[in-house]
Amino acid sequence: MHPEFEAVIGLEVHCQLATETKIFCSCPARIPADQSVSEIAVNSNTCPICAGHPGTLPVLNQKVVEFAIQAGLATHSRINLKNRFARKHYFYPDLPKGYQISQFELPICENGWLNIETDAGPKKIQIQRIHMEEDAGKNVHMSGFSLVNLNRAGVPLIEIVTGPDMKTADEAGAYLRALYAVVTYLGICDGNLQEGNFRCDANVSVMPKGSTVFGTRTEIKNVNSFRFVEKAIEYEIARQIEVIRSGGRVVLETRTYDSDKDITISMRSKEEAQDYRYFTEPDLIPLTIDEAWIRKIESGLPELPEQMKSRLVSSLGLSVYDAGVLTGSKTLAEFFDRVVHKLGNPALAKPAANWVTGEVSRLINEQGIEIQQSRILPEHIADLVRLVHDQVLSSTAAKQVLALVWNSGEAVEVIVDREGLKQVSDVGSLDPIIQRVIEGNAKQAADFRSGKDKLLGFFVGQVMKESGGKANPALLGELIKKKLLG
Amino acid sequence: MVDVNEALTRQVAALARLELSENEVKTFSSQLSQIIKYVEKLQEVDVKGVEPLSHPIDLPTPLRPDVVLASPTDLEGKPKVLQAAPEVLYDGFKVPPIL
Amino acid sequence: MANLSSFRTVRDVHSAFESKKISPVELTQDYLNAAKKSEIGAYLTICEDVALQQARAAEALIQRQGRVPCLEYPLLGIPLGIKDNLNMDGVKTTCASKMLENYVAPYTATCVSRLQKSGAVTLGKLNLDEFAMGGSNENSAFGPVRHPTHPDRVPGGSSGGSAAAVRANLCFGSLGSDTGGSIRLPASYCGVVGMKPTYGRVSRFGLVAFASSLDQVGPFAQTVEDAALLMDVMSGYDPLDSTSIPQEKMNTYAATQTAPEWSQIRIGVPKEYFVGGLTPAVEQSIQASLKWFEKQGAQLVPISLPHTEYAVSVYYVVAVSEASSNLARYDGIRFGMRPAASDQAKDLNDFYMKSRSLFGPEVKRRIILGTFALSSGYSEAYFQRACQVRRKIVGDFNDAFQKVDLIVGPVSPTTAFKLGEKSSDPLKMYLNDIFTIPANLAGLPALSVPCGIDEEGLPIGLHLMAAPFQEDRLVSAAHAFQNGSLFGKV
Repeated sequence: MHPEFEAVIGLEVHCQLATETKIFCSCPARIPADQSVSEIAVNSNTCPICAGHPGTLPVLNQKVVEFAIQAGLATHSRINLKNRFARKHYFYPDLPKGYQISQFELPICENGWLNIETDAGPKKIQIQRIHMEEDAGKNVHMSGFSLVNLNRAGVPLIEIVTGPDMKTADEAGAYLRALYAVVTYLGICDGNLQEGNFRCDANVSVMPKGSTVFGTRTEIKNVNSFRFVEKAIEYEIARQIEVIRSGGRVVLETRTYDSDKDITISMRSKEEAQDYRYFTEPDLIPLTIDEAWIRKIESGLPELPEQMKSRLVSSLGLSVYDAGVLTGSKTLAEFFDRVVHKLGNPALAKPAANWVTGEVSRLINEQGIEIQQSRILPEHIADLVRLVHDQVLSSTAAKQVLALVWNSGEAVEVIVDREGLKQVSDVGSLDPIIQRVIEGNAKQAADFRSGKDKLLGFFVGQVMKESGGKANPALLGELIKKKLLG
Repeated sequence: MVDVNEALTRQVAALARLELSENEVKTFSSQLSQIIKYVEKLQEVDVKGVEPLSHPIDLPTPLRPDVVLASPTDLEGKPKVLQAAPEVLYDGFKVPPIL
Repeated sequence: MANLSSFRTVRDVHSAFESKKISPVELTQDYLNAAKKSEIGAYLTICEDVALQQARAAEALIQRQGRVPCLEYPLLGIPLGIKDNLNMDGVKTTCASKMLENYVAPYTATCVSRLQKSGAVTLGKLNLDEFAMGGSNENSAFGPVRHPTHPDRVPGGSSGGSAAAVRANLCFGSLGSDTGGSIRLPASYCGVVGMKPTYGRVSRFGLVAFASSLDQVGPFAQTVEDAALLMDVMSGYDPLDSTSIPQEKMNTYAATQTAPEWSQIRIGVPKEYFVGGLTPAVEQSIQASLKWFEKQGAQLVPISLPHTEYAVSVYYVVAVSEASSNLARYDGIRFGMRPAASDQAKDLNDFYMKSRSLFGPEVKRRIILGTFALSSGYSEAYFQRACQVRRKIVGDFNDAFQKVDLIVGPVSPTTAFKLGEKSSDPLKMYLNDIFTIPANLAGLPALSVPCGIDEEGLPIGLHLMAAPFQEDRLVSAAHAFQNGSLFGKV
């Protein structure tokens, strides 16, 4: 970023709640795990209510309220005991009633926060409000016409709005990952980014460094990948600074991010923005929430990423960094927890963490899948960690084993035995090889003896090669030294 | 007081997506101006601290259990909501191009 | 063909069934024939097949049981008409609008299905002002309804078809909806009983919304007793309507079967309802009715409802605001008519403009007014303020019902006016609702019962209001009045 400027970023996240039914009718809202949205027949999850037929009325789904309260509690928000719903009006073919039922005054949660890690240490991001609302349907664009599919119309969302608290794209990314971890830990969101379960709008402005007056902001709409949000914000900050430095002024507008070109593009200016004509939804009486219900929901909350992270650091001795990576993904964190449980030895948690954040993450990221979708089980990793620790496997051999497990899912023992990957730690069988290598490299042996210590590595490598990589390297060093010097 | 002129009538009609003929604009703006003038008497009521009343009943909203009821279909198993639509293609509601 | 006017109550009909004077099928056929022959424009759709099927089922049941099982089926074989803004699965619901000219409802309104389950025969759908917006039934896209006895006059609106059809014996009873007087006004003009229950008594699910916080479905009948019977069947909690009140099954019918304890009844007479504007005939009839109550032993209590003068203003801001929102869904995409011009639209905006051009002038006027009242910059001064004054009006009633059990006055300042008389002046038409609107703003139960005729023979209605959920009091007093007073019988 240009040193004379600083950026101000606020985020609005639309998070699809993992309820079985829609927010105001009993149509299915959730896509079965083994299906994608595109496999659901067009308009099949649609009834007269969510299609906005004359005479239909909304009835609120209890689970939506429960999930929203969970989100509020997990973000340290105040839960409003009285809630109002409001109608937000605009005309668009995917909006069946001509208005969206949302919350305006008295949303379900206000005044929360979430911690993120930054280079300068932890930072608190204010969450101004969380409100419940219905999603719109989907317009499918064809040539010469469009088709409206209302399967998504009425699917429950919570919108989570931050204060203008972030200064860089990295902070925005960190916040999104932290929030994502929270909603997926809670299980209130399926977290499928491709299907738009977790979509982000970013409000970005820049101002001269040290200023207290925010610049004109632009809003980047509907980005559904963390990396793209970061890139879009980075681009937008640079663009705005460039506009100002070249004497122009930033226009209040909505922009969209083109990930192919890595730029943001103007959609419409806010001046011609819509007049949403909010007013209290007359078809829904205010919702009242009693303290007892909140306490009951609170007592059922699972361990949250922040809590798990401090547990990993304090009782397992992991680094803050490793704990952060592990808890950044609910599936990874659960997997790791089970590995540690199988190991039954807290001392091995650290190497286990290295495996999970290293090789395992690399493999699943390469495939773009979740750990649970792979053939790797927690016991595989536990076995590998134990065998390496017991010096039965070299770490090189262990990586080989993991690659084979990835393909077949076979037990580690079976693979190790079949492939003969056990380390040789038996002096009797290593001795003749060492003897042979020293004899074959007389010059190097003489140099070593005259003080060239570094050549030890050379000998270890040669013996390792002769042994087919199975020799225990630590033991080997000792044996070779003894032989050369002794 | 608001001056309900033809420009305002046009502007509000556009917001409501209503196309008005020149005649309608004239008639409506004079009628609306008359009605607005009449309702202007609301301004004389002292409403300080009065919470707006949106619902004539004062009960908490009922909540519905999160249980799926199959969406209604017709005899051929097609979504019932498609029957009433003016134009359907591939089971989608057909509208003019949006982009 | 039987003389349909010889049946005054459901009880009469049921004993005629039991004594085989007439069968349900014959009765239904007679009403269908009368409906088809009628020229007052009350029906928009006649459901002959459905109705005859229901009548045959009723007939079979009576034959099997040898009597009318009126506890399980209190409306067995009773032919009813339904206002055409209430849905019946497989039948058109037009709302008297070009916009919905071809709309076939995919489900049945809760109140209608409750009538059907109690054995009623649904003859067809009745004319109304487009989307229930109007007080004269002249705003129907399919032609006005004429007054059943004075064809040059209006029947009142918006449930004009429902009131006229009952009066003209085109159905035994009917359903209407009341947002600002749309049941009581036409009941008064046509000389039948019309009742608007407490807001939340009857489910609105399947009632095409005009103004959600004001709309209520209610019955029309010749007698208070039958109106109560229809109410009892329709009312009760509906999980499909969030504004439906969890409540015990009503039994207002029982309240008609015991004489009121007149000495316990205090009747409020609001001074604001008698301040000029009433025609002499109306004024006289109302005063005579009040005297009748007094003669029975009831206490007349002068009261004041000081915010009455703001009621019309509040109503016309709140109702049109909600209407502008409720009518946003009519866009020719998912249902209803799509004019040919829409397909030539140059862009999406134009598409909406063309599709929504099918609304009639009164509907357009109200949508524009409501859009204005909610729009940014004006919403605080109009919509918000109207909602605040609405609370004041509710407060007036709360105070009044501390002192009285019923409030009695006129339904309308005049009797039925001539077709075309007020249609060019919307404000004048709106002011006609001055006495009925407050009950909607406060969600009160209210009814109109005939209390006399003017010099031209046009009926006059007496308006009774009670505190929320006090339908019993209302019905009991009105029933006694209808049976005991000279004027109660038209």
